[in-house]
Amino acid sequence: MTSESAATAADVDAMNSVGEACTDMKREYDQCFNRWFAEKFLKGDGSGDPCTDLFKRYQQCVQKAIKEKEIPIEGLEFMGHGKEKPESSS
Amino acid sequence: MNPAHIRKVALCAHRPHGCGPVRSPRRSHGTTAHVMCGLSAESRPAHRVLTLRPRTERSIPGPGASLAALCGAMRVWSSEHVFGHPWDTVIKAAMRKYPNPMNPCVVGVDVLERSVDGRGRLHSHRLLSTEWGLPSLVRAILGTSRTLTYIREHSVVDPVEKKMELCSTNITLTNLVSVSERLVYTPHPEDPGKTVLTQEAVITVKGVSLGSYLESLMANTISSNAKKLSRWKPLGPTELFLPVATIVQQSEPQFLP
Repeated sequence: MTSESAATAADVDAMNSVGEACTDMKREYDQCFNRWFAEKFLKGDGSGDPCTDLFKRYQQCVQKAIKEKEIPIEGLEFMGHGKEKPESSS
Repeated sequence: MNPAHIRKVALCAHRPHGCGPVRSPRRSHGTTAHVMCGLSAESRPAHRVLTLRPRTERSIPGPGASLAALCGAMRVWSSEHVFGHPWDTVIKAAMRKYPNPMNPCVVGVDVLERSVDGRGRLHSHRLLSTEWGLPSLVRAILGTSRTLTYIREHSVVDPVEKKMELCSTNITLTNLVSVSERLVYTPHPEDPGKTVLTQEAVITVKGVSLGSYLESLMANTISSNAKKLSRWKPLGPTELFLPVATIVQQSEPQFLP
């Protein structure tokens, strides 16, 4: 068992990414998302996600890491950017 | 996961008055597996595999057919927990933490996809890396030196209905074992200052090599006469089981090539 992350109740935004190079981007995105989630989304304002750019960069990094590590992710369209993102389309 | 090839077995309750004998069915694809609960031995050699057919209806009502597909259908373990905090507080913490007892050691979390649907619900797809910390015996049994397992999670947060539903399943080691679980966070029906978390889990063993390997391992290390051990508790729709079994056993010895 690794000792780097706490066993069960660790903060997700303090955790690593599957791709080592993506960890910083991930944490930056997580902080942005957590803020939006708590202050906007849960209060009923789900539009206008301010984290889109951060997420795109982070996602590209993760996609690359997943391919390199041959992790079997299926059924998601993020690889082809085919999915609509309603929160950023308005 | 192809349900048609899965022999789902319920995990036996770890109780002294426990379970009845289990009879193994005819082998269709080489081997079958049934769960051994590791309690006192029975000499009865015949075993019955409780094949649980996948159901499409949910035990807990709620939306999200896609989550059901991800999670599988049969509840074999469930629990309920009440947090002494309102739903919003718990959800914020749940998104940030990973207090999930079914996944013992999450070492990495990534968001693969995130979007708000037409109903204003937030969908997130996440990839979790976990270190199971399996004992070396179990790793030897599983035939893997890998300890890092990947789990895929889909969650839906409905801020209007105040419901967060989370489904996850492992996407590696699926040839051996499948652990799916579902978590639902809702406000306590009687106290808005509290939140109820309901957890369900299904553990499916696809026991071809695992069953064979274990049988041979047991036969060699424990006794030259492989005893057929089984304790089984009848599965009822409201039965709750504590997941105990970590080994499967085959009815007839078969050695891996």
